[in-house]
Amino acid sequence: MVAPEQEPAAAAPVLIAARGLTKRFGDLVAVAGIDFEVRRGEAFGFLGPNGAGKSSTMRMIGCVAPATSGELRILGLDPQRYGPRIRARLGVVPQQDTLDLELTVRENLYIYGRYFGLPREGLRAKVDELLRFAQLSDRANAKVEPLSGGMKRRLTIARSLVNDPEILLLDEPTTGLDPQARHVLWDRLYRLKQSGVTLVLTTHYMDEAEQLCDRLVVMDGGRIVAEGAPAALIAEHSTREVAELRFEPGGSAGAVERLAGVLSGAGERVEVLPDRVLLYVEDGEGAVVSALDAGLRPLSTLVRRSTLEDVFLRLTGRSLVD
Amino acid sequence: MTVAAASRTSAWRVVEYHAVNARRYLTSVIVLSVLTPLVYLLALGVGLGTLVNRHGTGTLGAPYLAFVAPGLLAAAAMQTAATHAANLVMGGFKWIRVFYGMSATPLTSRQICDGTLGFIALRLVGDAALYLAIMSSFGAARRWEIVFAVPAAVGAAMAFAAPVAAIVASMQSERNLFNVLFRFVVTPMFLFSGTFYPVSRLPEWGRWLAAASPLWHGTELARAAALGGASSASVLGHVGYLLAWLAVGVPLARWRFRVRAYR
Repeated sequence: MVAPEQEPAAAAPVLIAARGLTKRFGDLVAVAGIDFEVRRGEAFGFLGPNGAGKSSTMRMIGCVAPATSGELRILGLDPQRYGPRIRARLGVVPQQDTLDLELTVRENLYIYGRYFGLPREGLRAKVDELLRFAQLSDRANAKVEPLSGGMKRRLTIARSLVNDPEILLLDEPTTGLDPQARHVLWDRLYRLKQSGVTLVLTTHYMDEAEQLCDRLVVMDGGRIVAEGAPAALIAEHSTREVAELRFEPGGSAGAVERLAGVLSGAGERVEVLPDRVLLYVEDGEGAVVSALDAGLRPLSTLVRRSTLEDVFLRLTGRSLVD
Repeated sequence: MTVAAASRTSAWRVVEYHAVNARRYLTSVIVLSVLTPLVYLLALGVGLGTLVNRHGTGTLGAPYLAFVAPGLLAAAAMQTAATHAANLVMGGFKWIRVFYGMSATPLTSRQICDGTLGFIALRLVGDAALYLAIMSSFGAARRWEIVFAVPAAVGAAMAFAAPVAAIVASMQSERNLFNVLFRFVVTPMFLFSGTFYPVSRLPEWGRWLAAASPLWHGTELARAAALGGASSASVLGHVGYLLAWLAVGVPLARWRFRVRAYR
């Protein structure tokens, strides 16, 4: 079989559409009137720090929380009226696992499929397939409790696929996992994306957003502060390179004045963090040389490319992970 | 087609979960379901009964074993129901969080509630049937109509379990709830609902308390089934009272499940 030509995302149908979507808990505004669209086949991300409103948005998309106001359509349906019908076509990976730790790996997958009304016979084959996908076939009859965090997360993802969902919602899929386990998980998610599943994920890791998302929105304080492809967001809101100068505590005082002369091009700027100074420039190596010439004596220097972290810092004045 | 199949889900899938989960405790469940009636019937029916019978059982209308056995059946059902309603609901929302996993599927909060209550009811039917079998082996089953003691006991137990489920679904943590529930509600109800003696022996306030508790109505129905001699008016009154508790308790539980799972 020949793989179908990849459709340009703009032409694909809209699966999720939100207009002025708002969620309040009493006086607390968790989501403050956001607009976004997710198209079929996309990997779409909500990037932002804890408390930005990402999880509340995900719960509304997952039809387990009513919107306070605004409009939301999922697969063309109103979640307040057609929750069960929509949920039948979604896969959900919640931020906190809801696995039954006392049941076996296989039982967890099987019983979850039963919640969707899947018949017993087909389900057994499906469970075997999911066990292979999650690389858990050899643990099929083990209880979930002693599994590692990465294994539990893979099991949760496998479980969310039991109904062959059209949209997979992943809330902080790799939070709390070690780097090795994160890479295994990213690989599994990448395969899903290749097979045409629409991914919607939240994360506060900029590397995760860059790895997985075709398009993302940056959220802060319940609002969307920027939207676009990761590379486009970086190009729009940051410089090509960043030179990081690390100082002794308090050693960066007066650095800004001395560095003013280092900056040349448009959009170049200095950002002072407690432990280091960031130079947003086109030529990082050149900026470091100029800084040393200007008499600065940093403990160490590092030149790197701009990331989404820098975009977030630029847009909100804060870093993603405190 | 998965999408078509997905619309076939129902509260029975929640019952199935609880059954799969309970399979892990199958041995202890069976041992407990057999030991409880054995111990109670031996200690009270046979042991205490010998003493009671010696002093005459005119007010009871039957030997003590035959009198106390249907009461114990109803009381055991109520205790199992209260324990399960408390543990399964707190477990589902807090300890294991499995209800949140369910609510991400086509299952509705109402189905999760109904399936959980339904599982408890089925479990009670099994326990009560076993109780009945053991009763008859003690010679405490005097007529076939005693089988109606099973729906009487299960109905009364569920009438109490539904509001318990509603309360537990409203609690963010168990704190002292379970202690208060069992020490100050379940146990007194067990002692003052006519399980061991007719409530006509109690002072008036005690009779009113008994009349308010669903267990007394279940006990009266179970005893009427076991011994006969009850007027149809009193049977209808007890059934009506239990149905009223269910008519309030079940919607209350569904509402609290919805508030907890969907916010």
